[in-house]
Amino acid sequence: MPRAWMVAFGFVLAGLGGLGAYFLPVFQTAANSTTIGSGALPHLNPVTGPTQPFTVLLLGSDDDSKFMPDRLNTQSMILMRIDPESKQATMLSIPRDLWVPIPNVGYGKISTAYQMGGAQGAIAAVESNFKVHVDDYVWIGLNGLVNLINRLGGVNVQVTNPVMDDFYPSDLNSAGNPYDYYRVAVLPGATHLDGVHALQYVRSRHGDVRGDFARSERQQQLLLSIKAQASHLNVADLPTLASAFNGEIKSSIGVDRLRPLLSIANDFNGSNIHRVVLVPPYTSEGFAAGQSVVFPDWAQILPLVHQTFP
Amino acid sequence: MRWAIGAALVVAMLAFGLGVYHTAGVLKAGGKVVHRPNEVSAPPLPGTMYVVQGGAIFRFQHGSFTQVTAEDGWMQPAARPGDNQLVAVRRQTNSSDLFLLTTGGKQVVQLTRNSRPGPAEGNHWSFYPRFSADGATLFYDYDPKSGFNNYQVDLAIYASPSNPDSRGSLQWTHPNDYTGGDVYPVPLRGGGLIYVKYSIDDSFKVHSQIWLQKRAGTSGQALTQPELGCTQPALSPDESLIAMVCSGGSNQTAELDVATFDPTTLTLGSPATLVSGQLVASPVFSPDGKTIAYLAPSTPGGQFQLWTAGSSGPASVRNITTDLGLDSTSPPVWIGG
Repeated sequence: MPRAWMVAFGFVLAGLGGLGAYFLPVFQTAANSTTIGSGALPHLNPVTGPTQPFTVLLLGSDDDSKFMPDRLNTQSMILMRIDPESKQATMLSIPRDLWVPIPNVGYGKISTAYQMGGAQGAIAAVESNFKVHVDDYVWIGLNGLVNLINRLGGVNVQVTNPVMDDFYPSDLNSAGNPYDYYRVAVLPGATHLDGVHALQYVRSRHGDVRGDFARSERQQQLLLSIKAQASHLNVADLPTLASAFNGEIKSSIGVDRLRPLLSIANDFNGSNIHRVVLVPPYTSEGFAAGQSVVFPDWAQILPLVHQTFP
Repeated sequence: MRWAIGAALVVAMLAFGLGVYHTAGVLKAGGKVVHRPNEVSAPPLPGTMYVVQGGAIFRFQHGSFTQVTAEDGWMQPAARPGDNQLVAVRRQTNSSDLFLLTTGGKQVVQLTRNSRPGPAEGNHWSFYPRFSADGATLFYDYDPKSGFNNYQVDLAIYASPSNPDSRGSLQWTHPNDYTGGDVYPVPLRGGGLIYVKYSIDDSFKVHSQIWLQKRAGTSGQALTQPELGCTQPALSPDESLIAMVCSGGSNQTAELDVATFDPTTLTLGSPATLVSGQLVASPVFSPDGKTIAYLAPSTPGGQFQLWTAGSSGPASVRNITTDLGLDSTSPPVWIGG
């Protein structure tokens, strides 16, 4: 081989080494991810976004030390449908206490489906009760959400009313007592929140007359804020995000499919995202099996779901 | 000689690899640098302004910022009429207290003692301090405890004599249950109080309204319709205009609206939008009433910066700062001198 070629090859190798080191967290995340589909590494060539409508089930769990890692409930379930062609999206918040038949288990709160069968269990419960098809899922833990928001540089949220809670769980730090609590006061108005304060905003429920429904509303609002921040991202941000993902975010969406999804993020804003929270009369509160639960009124819910998730 | 060239080439290759690594990092989209206010200069504004960033209060005068308190949970400063003092909130994990400060940031006296030993729920909050026009009374938010349910924490507006040696406080407002409470007191020269009241309707929708009470303990009256979603009122020095942030019921937008106010009949005109397309927070009038300062991000998702706009249209919006991260829950204090 001519000497000049050897030198050029050396520089190419060094450059690839630099790129490899930079994207190492992405490779590690891809290797560790629980993807159902391809866990392929990201391509650096231009990407084409998806064109067909698809649904994603977003799951959020309290995964602090009060819980066994493989016995988590989902405190948050949001079903999303994204139609890239019409540029319309829908977010449907499913109450965590919704009393439904869970496949292979029997009646229970829908939040327990994840505990019984993992992501596939949660998907099966949603598909069988809401008569929809779920293409993908994303699961996130407490620290995953905090890290994600911090890596995005925080999010802007318009706090609609004071969010006050004297019994907010002090469970983010694994070293402390997970049953401790502290006081939260998220003051109203437009504000920039870091991960911890954004989590307080979407997790607190004690001081609001709407209880869990208020959380659902705020969780949808935070998702829009995260989407707004994520729409500024490019491929060079993936390593930073991947290090936030590590273990605290699980998804059937491989890292290779993140870029196409990011490429269509700017097509969606608050005005073309339809937001649904199953407040009364779609649901009613009551008791079943000695627990406080939320009963669905399927006669009202299913037409709404069929309309928004055709 | 050949070994030296070879070694130099290897070093150059390693440097090239490092360069590629750093270049990839530079291409990252987010992560704009947030400066401390005293590290930057900005277009000068008439008078003196106080703003908050990272738990510290900064004075803005002649185009430069000076830090007046340490980064220690300070927020929501307000000027005491007629002398060189500020009242401000110092927030800790489970409680917050009001302090009188000199304009240089030195503590004069601690006005409230809300921190309690024992369980967290035994503590109290104090927010949004604001002096009456004569400086004799201090209005502020406080969380009275419910005797029926530990989970209920709704802020109510109280008034106390501003002389720290005087005792006694009066609950002015009674918030709707489990809404978070009444916030943002703005005392009127004639003795009434403007503030923000929240309600939650049967379809679980939150409404914020600018509310007016002539006397303590009365039910008061709404100045704005619930569907306008108005909050964060600011009164012009001559009390002829109210600036406020209105969302139209959305939790994605926040416009700056201005309406005429008649302090005699206590009526508000129809709000006109002064600034839209920004996530506006915490407006405040200039000492001459001709300009409104407010906080809003320069870019979607960005940190909150200082802006100004003419108080009577057409709006002349000016971006005063570009790389700060100001506390948007602390309205700027804008005084003469």
